[in-house]
Amino acid sequence: MTDPRPTTAPVLASDGLTRNFGGLAAVRDVSIALHRRELHAVIGPNGAGKSTLVNLLSGELAPTAGRINLMGRDVAGEPSWRMAHLGIGRSFQRTNLLGPASVLENVRLGIQARHAQASGLFRSAGKARDLIDRADAVLARIGLAGVRDQIAGTLSHGHQRQLEIAMAIAGTPQVLLLDEPMAGIGPEESERMLLLLKSLAQDHAVLLIEHDMDFVFAVADWMTVMVDGAVLADGKPETIRANVAVQSAYLGGAA
Amino acid sequence: MSSAGTLLPRTRLGMYGLAAGAAALACLPLIAPPYYIELGTTALIAAMLALSLQLLVGCTGLVSLGHGAFYGLAAYTVYLVTPANGALPVWLTLPAAVLAAALASLVVGALSLRTKGFFFLMVTLAFGQMIFFLFHDTKIGGGTDGAFLAKPVLAAFGYELSLPRRQRPLIAYYVSLALLVAMYTGLALLLRSLFGRVLEGIRINEHRMQALGYDTYRYKLAAFALAGILAGVAGHMWAMHRGFVNPELVGWHRSAEALLMILLGGLTTLHGPIIGALAYVGVLREVASLWFPERTLLVEGLVILAIVLLLPRGLTGLSRHRLERKSEPHKAGADD
Repeated sequence: MTDPRPTTAPVLASDGLTRNFGGLAAVRDVSIALHRRELHAVIGPNGAGKSTLVNLLSGELAPTAGRINLMGRDVAGEPSWRMAHLGIGRSFQRTNLLGPASVLENVRLGIQARHAQASGLFRSAGKARDLIDRADAVLARIGLAGVRDQIAGTLSHGHQRQLEIAMAIAGTPQVLLLDEPMAGIGPEESERMLLLLKSLAQDHAVLLIEHDMDFVFAVADWMTVMVDGAVLADGKPETIRANVAVQSAYLGGAA
Repeated sequence: MSSAGTLLPRTRLGMYGLAAGAAALACLPLIAPPYYIELGTTALIAAMLALSLQLLVGCTGLVSLGHGAFYGLAAYTVYLVTPANGALPVWLTLPAAVLAAALASLVVGALSLRTKGFFFLMVTLAFGQMIFFLFHDTKIGGGTDGAFLAKPVLAAFGYELSLPRRQRPLIAYYVSLALLVAMYTGLALLLRSLFGRVLEGIRINEHRMQALGYDTYRYKLAAFALAGILAGVAGHMWAMHRGFVNPELVGWHRSAEALLMILLGGLTTLHGPIIGALAYVGVLREVASLWFPERTLLVEGLVILAIVLLLPRGLTGLSRHRLERKSEPHKAGADD
């Protein structure tokens, strides 16, 4: 029933992760393992707890119970800024940028957060070549070099979604948590996003939340299906597709 | 406009304008009678206080109603460290005043920054009032009547008495102006730095800054303490200038006035609060009490209301709009 996983230790693993909101268990006893060079998709109907899971793994929410292991270290309950320092980068389901700042500045701040020495904090930001060059490299990789100097809030929706990802990888994380990066973008842009995600999976452990099933099955190396806050199934895409319980709970309804 | 640092002049013309303004202030005593030089000094000190608060309000997005407490505490510190019938040199009183303001703002900041928005406003107000009542209800600073300092200005600027009487107010005026220019320049450099960009990011979207890896609490606390220190410099200057301290210097009224000056001059520029303070203390309050001696507060209030309604970006918003329309016509409104 269970597919074989890579023998190396996972980069990020949760064990019995639970989060209650009042009487509601938004995430229940979720154990999930993310591996390097693997694109791990989490699917499930609305309200299944996918975004809550991302918020737990990124430190935005503290778990009610359970453990999170990041590269051999127990990090459950750490605040989000420390998670970012420990190697977790995330994007948001609802675009969450520094709207009035330039595209470059959005990414540069992400690099500064992890790579600027505290002693150098009072040098001129406009002359911090090291940070600016790295930001330019990130923008080139994500395909935003052409809008580098534009104000982030004035970008097209598709570009804003790309900037979300650029900010997520700016701090050179080992783990990337991408919460519906494709939300609201058109078919042409989603083609580009597919290539981008595949390339990101080459050097990160990627967790992807996505609703478009064709897209997910095209890109995922591993899948976890969540329903009502709990894991319903976990395995390779072909295993998930063949899973009867998943079909009745989710895929059947969607098809 | 392309990146952050948006509170600073964006064009060379804007910087020349600021330099010209400073030069005009430096020339003012050449034509103004001593009364107006005194008034000018008062306005410059108010500008320092408003500018220090702008580091929190305009730069970091923190609206504090306790800021005046650090200003008043520094002024009282000058009184407290000065012996009753002697005087201390400024290199002793200034560090003492700044240290008191720094410690108080660190403690108040560390506690109040655990809250946000409206609650932050209320908690800073509460702490400010605690410091106010410390001086108001006890005898350590002369109680409600306040207290005189022993010849403070003499000690600060020892050669003052050798000047002709007419020229004596000049020293406090020029020292205040020099401090204000230094404070503006220092804050402008700070805003351009990596640290300043983080403060700006926090103002725009604190949540995202945390996700990027910033411990925003620590940055906000640093800004809060630095603003408290700068308010302390202003409060020290006030004690030097007036030679008198009273609880009014510490109360929330002082903080509210400083906020008003920021609003009046413009929330979106670093120099706005300076213009707001000069307009408020040097012009509005003076004109209102001269022409409407019985309706001063009402007239003040109406004028401020009108300015805030008609010029949402304050007095500086006026020139800024014109300049930008001229220099960057294609980008109008792009920063909204």
